[in-house]
Amino acid sequence: MKNIYEQVDENKFRSVVVITSFIVFITAATYLITYSLGYDLSAVGIALVLSGIFSFIGYYNSDKIILGISGASPANKGDHFEFYTVTENLARVARIPMPKLYVIDDTAMNAFATGRDPEHAVVCATTGILSKLNRTEMEGVVAHELSHIRNYDIRLMSIVTILVGLVTLLADILLRTRMRGKSDREEGNLGAILMIAGIIMALLSPLVAQLIQLAISRRREFFADASGALLTKYPAGLASALEKISADKEPLEAANKATAHLYIANPLKNHHDSIGWFADLFNTHPPVKERIKALRAG
Amino acid sequence: MNFPLLLLVAAVIIFFYVVSLYNWFQTALTRITASIQDIGNQLKRQASLIPNLEKSAKGYLKHEKGIYEAIVSARKAVEKASGSKDISKIEAASDAVSSLVPKLQILVESNPEMKGVEVINKLMDELRDTADKLMYARRVVIDLTADFNAKVVTVPSNFVAMIFGFKMQKGLSTPVEGGHLEVSEAETKEPKIDL
Repeated sequence: MKNIYEQVDENKFRSVVVITSFIVFITAATYLITYSLGYDLSAVGIALVLSGIFSFIGYYNSDKIILGISGASPANKGDHFEFYTVTENLARVARIPMPKLYVIDDTAMNAFATGRDPEHAVVCATTGILSKLNRTEMEGVVAHELSHIRNYDIRLMSIVTILVGLVTLLADILLRTRMRGKSDREEGNLGAILMIAGIIMALLSPLVAQLIQLAISRRREFFADASGALLTKYPAGLASALEKISADKEPLEAANKATAHLYIANPLKNHHDSIGWFADLFNTHPPVKERIKALRAG
Repeated sequence: MNFPLLLLVAAVIIFFYVVSLYNWFQTALTRITASIQDIGNQLKRQASLIPNLEKSAKGYLKHEKGIYEAIVSARKAVEKASGSKDISKIEAASDAVSSLVPKLQILVESNPEMKGVEVINKLMDELRDTADKLMYARRVVIDLTADFNAKVVTVPSNFVAMIFGFKMQKGLSTPVEGGHLEVSEAETKEPKIDL
């Protein structure tokens, strides 16, 4: 297994690769479209600048965007005593600054970490997980998230969410607004164009899923489990938390294909609507059973 | 020849290795000292927090204890009186009970909900958190000294440690021999909780 410094270097490197590929892809796509349609090639320059600006914004604000998409609100010590104190204690052992804490008001059990480095990190948990886990299990979950922060997994995963997941997010939004707007036919042209754009992006979804899986290997979760267990020195805590999480059949409403890979356990399970269609394609999580087995064996 | 140049390069590399290792040792020592101070810090927090929490919890509980005691003694009086078949005694006892009603009303009005359970839960949470904080503060000392000591005894960093006289750090001093390394017959049995 790689050590933490190699993991950090690899994540930083991969983040740069993702950003560069994004800018190159957008510029190349614009070039192809404008060239084949015979338009003025100045659009390529604009695309280059815009994708650069977008990456810049994505890099510095990925945490805020992701928290916004997920409908999270800040946690405080009074209402979430256990969450707050457990994170405070474990951040001390992990020797990273205390991350900001957020909660999603949802009874599904899940948690994720985001941000760009340990100084700008966020841990977010659902109210479901906070109320159903005991303190020892909560320590396991928070230690797992803090490991993602310490490894710089959060940087890579957040950038992937913003830059690669964007396509799937747009597809969802476009298709949904189209469905809703079906009753009034006055939109005419614009509606049709949006519809086509949505369908094209939806068709791109499997490709995007492949890209996300390429960037984010499933080993990442095992690594975070292991280094999390190293923090608490009690792997059984996380194992028992994962058992409870996998027994919980409720999908998380706020999660989507772009953000699913951030969560500690796949939040799209048992989603039987348009989002659930591709959920399996986007499965970036190793089976929980294998993770529990690895933790129990250690 | 290139030989002197190679020697020079090797010397420069070794020099930088030694300097960076020296700095590593010094930084680690500073961190160990800081982490030991943190244990003191946590102990101080515990010493100032827990007695105050205890006091305020006691204050709350006394409030409720008074009324519970009055209810219990009134009930006992009623039981005793109903056994004695003496009407005046029964009346006196039931008067005592009804005199509790306004008191109870005041209690309920001033605390819409009985706070006892909540107060005890809060105290338990704080106790657990404080114990955790101390445990993790000690853990940091143990981790840091383990890193430090590993460098002091392994090749090639042990040569640098030797040159500058870096010694193994004690970390959390725990007796090497003793009862904590042995499991007695009685300890292998599941403990029974008896309340």
